[in-house]
Amino acid sequence: MTSVLCARKVTKRFSGIVALDRVDIEVGEGERVGLIGPNGAGKTTLFNCLLGVLRTDGGSVELRGEDLTRMPVHRRARQGIGRTFQRIELFPDSTVREHLLIAERVRHGDGRLWKDLIGLGRPRRDELARCDEVLELLGLASLADEPIERLSLGKGRLVEVGRALMTDPALLLLDEPSSGLDRGETAALAETLRQAQADHGFAILLVEHDVELVADFTTRSYLLDFGRMIAEGPTAEVMGSEAMRLAYLGDLEVAG
Amino acid sequence: MTLATSVATDLFTAVLQGTPPGTVYALIALGFVLTYKTSGVFNLAFGAQAYVSAVLYFKLHTEWGWGILPSAVLAVLVVSPLLGLALERLIFRHLRTAPALAKLVVTIGLAVALPQLCDLLFDFEAVAGVTPEGIVPDGADVFYDPFGVYAFSRNELVAMVIAVVAMAGLGVLFRFTGIGLQMRAVVESPRMTELNGIAAERVSAFAWALSSLFAGLAGVLIAPRFNTLAANDFFNLVVVAVAAAAVGRLVSLPRALAGGLGLGIGIALLTTFLPRWSDDHTWLQPLQDNLTPAIPFVVLFGVLVFVPSIRRAREAGDPLSGVDPPPASLASGGRDARRTMVTRILGTVALLAAGYVLLSQGDDVWVFLVTQGVAMSVIYLSITVVTGFAGQISLCQGTFAAIGAFAVFQLVDRYDMSVIVAAVVGAVIAAAVGAILSLPIRRLSGIWVAIATLAFAFFFDAVMVKFSWVGGGETAMLQGTDVPRPVIGPWDFGDDKAFLVLAVIVLALVSVAVVQIREGTVGRTLRALRGSEVAAQSIGISPARARLTAFAISGFIAGLGGALLAMHQETVNYGNNFAPFTALFWVVLVVTLGSRTVEGAVTAGAAFALFDTLILKGTVFGWLFRSPDRIPGLFPISPKWRFVLFGLGALQFARHPEGLLEARKKKAAARADRRAQRAPEAPPPPREPSPPVPQEEPVA
Repeated sequence: MTSVLCARKVTKRFSGIVALDRVDIEVGEGERVGLIGPNGAGKTTLFNCLLGVLRTDGGSVELRGEDLTRMPVHRRARQGIGRTFQRIELFPDSTVREHLLIAERVRHGDGRLWKDLIGLGRPRRDELARCDEVLELLGLASLADEPIERLSLGKGRLVEVGRALMTDPALLLLDEPSSGLDRGETAALAETLRQAQADHGFAILLVEHDVELVADFTTRSYLLDFGRMIAEGPTAEVMGSEAMRLAYLGDLEVAG
Repeated sequence: MTLATSVATDLFTAVLQGTPPGTVYALIALGFVLTYKTSGVFNLAFGAQAYVSAVLYFKLHTEWGWGILPSAVLAVLVVSPLLGLALERLIFRHLRTAPALAKLVVTIGLAVALPQLCDLLFDFEAVAGVTPEGIVPDGADVFYDPFGVYAFSRNELVAMVIAVVAMAGLGVLFRFTGIGLQMRAVVESPRMTELNGIAAERVSAFAWALSSLFAGLAGVLIAPRFNTLAANDFFNLVVVAVAAAAVGRLVSLPRALAGGLGLGIGIALLTTFLPRWSDDHTWLQPLQDNLTPAIPFVVLFGVLVFVPSIRRAREAGDPLSGVDPPPASLASGGRDARRTMVTRILGTVALLAAGYVLLSQGDDVWVFLVTQGVAMSVIYLSITVVTGFAGQISLCQGTFAAIGAFAVFQLVDRYDMSVIVAAVVGAVIAAAVGAILSLPIRRLSGIWVAIATLAFAFFFDAVMVKFSWVGGGETAMLQGTDVPRPVIGPWDFGDDKAFLVLAVIVLALVSVAVVQIREGTVGRTLRALRGSEVAAQSIGISPARARLTAFAISGFIAGLGGALLAMHQETVNYGNNFAPFTALFWVVLVVTLGSRTVEGAVTAGAAFALFDTLILKGTVFGWLFRSPDRIPGLFPISPKWRFVLFGLGALQFARHPEGLLEARKKKAAARADRRAQRAPEAPPPPREPSPPVPQEEPVA
């Protein structure tokens, strides 16, 4: 399997504290990979380093062979990293469809001022058709013209997914997608994501506290603790590993 | 040897000379930081508070002949804290959870309204050249020279002593008292503090009273340095204070103190040493004349741009701020097309009728005022782009407009360029300046953009305008800055009515462009960015580039409008039209009425030009009741009320960031919906209360 994302020896320090210590992570084409670890393990830091929100202090990040290490967030997005947010981030004053439309526009990069001025900036039919296709896929078609203020959290997260899909990502980073959702909604989200993935063929890297979701959704997982990658392999193996028990429960013998 | 001695003496003299103003700057900076720390309010009205006390003291002592002590006690110790309490109780308490930017807009409104209200209440008119007195007898005439190099006036000494005592008192309060500790807690999160059982409101009220006391003290102490009591000087003072406070990253009291002192001494040093250097280097000459007053603005801009911790500082974030409801949306999203269409047609007809009456029967005064309103509307559309679309408060729109106006003046005067071409070139220059300005401030967020643009506006005001290739220099002072009216082919726009038609055409073109931008990619990009910067980046939007575009467009429109205004008045008249303080009022006006729509900008333009004549002079009242004298003595109302009313109008920005016009429309739409729901044949209401449009049933 060729890899989509390949990060090597990613290191991040916050004034002396090593938050990430030479972390390696790799995600293959179309793969679903989980990133787990107890609170404070550095999951969010790693996520932010992959996305470019944080500058790394060492190591490299590559996407389909393209070196992203020095790129700012928005250029990485254009290279093919899509994401959703733990605390939902949508655009107020916009309908569901408009969220997808702006992403579609940016992807094609035809945001020229003069086009706006002569009236070419208004939504074109082919663009709207592409948006509606994705809305259909995510089951949001009936909500297309709703202002996002009226959506439930679960639907809002789907809009985030749809917005990310419009950028045609090679890799979708999901930041705790289950937070704020109940069991049923989480299962529905996972199902929708599977379908979308089957359709579009992107890879997924999932950061999640909900162990059940990770076990169910991902095929391979990484376990991060104290800024080090301490285990890697098929999800079931990682979950059952000694490292996992130690990371989450501590060394019982010493403690006891 | 002698040279070294004289340098040392000069250095010492400059330090001594800079210390008295420095201590007062420090005092203001401390008061400023105090409210910023405890209530998250970036209080640009701080100078206005100082002005109120200074005016009151002047009134009591100089005009009414009260003694120094009772005057000072009433003006500083009684009225100042009360003013602070009133501001907290009536305004800022209700805004505690509002975004920092909304609070900033409110304080800008207050900065405009308070001085005018104070003038009206105390019946105060600034008399040019009447220097306010200090709080000691003969303060300006008795000197002490402790070191034999610089003579302190008695005023300066007293000011220093009082300032030092006040600052020491504040230090003790913060460090050793319960209320000091509580104040520090409130800084972190008012709501968290309340959950811990501390009445955050009481603490915040105390901080406001204290801060206002500092403002009043500083106002009375600094007043003797001005030769006239003018609100503008006090506003400049607050910008100086912000610069001093910025040195302390706006949270550290000791550093704010050091910043204030440093600024005072730095200015004194430059006034001492620059003349020497510029003897040898003549190119320094214009800098020497102009740079010193601009130092605070340069420092402020520099700190904002180069100190990374400020650059990275997000708005004073309350950890519990996430529980706030999302901001209000535009009414147009939820109105039905028919109603919009009817309103539009009626509006157009009314405007056409008004235009016809004006062109056929209007006298010179009306034509003049309406043209002014049209030109202002064009300028205000620049605020629509940068504030309404991009969500950034820019306080240098007056500067962009001035660049357009000066460009027309210079290009026509020097190169005999066609006036229309010059106006377009001026707009392009303003756009370029806007684009360049957006580069250093591209990483700043929220209030910092506002402050950086304010610093830029003051820098332009203090330095650039005085250059002969910008403002015309001394020749312009003597001969004025004449701007001719354009002639295009067979049409001569020297005639006022013809020029009005031209102005309306420009306004129409710019309006269409603005609407196209809003509906197009640029508008959508900016809306996304305003909604959520992180999300916008995650789909590939570059915030820096989008903001650059917004500032460039805004600069272009403002420059064009400024050129139009200058052509109309046939002079640039920088001081009256474009000075930073004037431009503050523009922003207040536009955000009050509606910063997101063309309609808002045009209404603001009309309000700027016509409110005085129509309402305050009683014209409309006269039309309605046949004579303006129905209520004798009511009209004319002082034009100052315009500033008071619209300044206070900014108070509702926190609740209705979309502006009064949109808020009213939304209310009307909601009412119509309720009516539709009550009607028996109405479609079943969708799941949310008060929905704007009946939805079609979703097809599963």
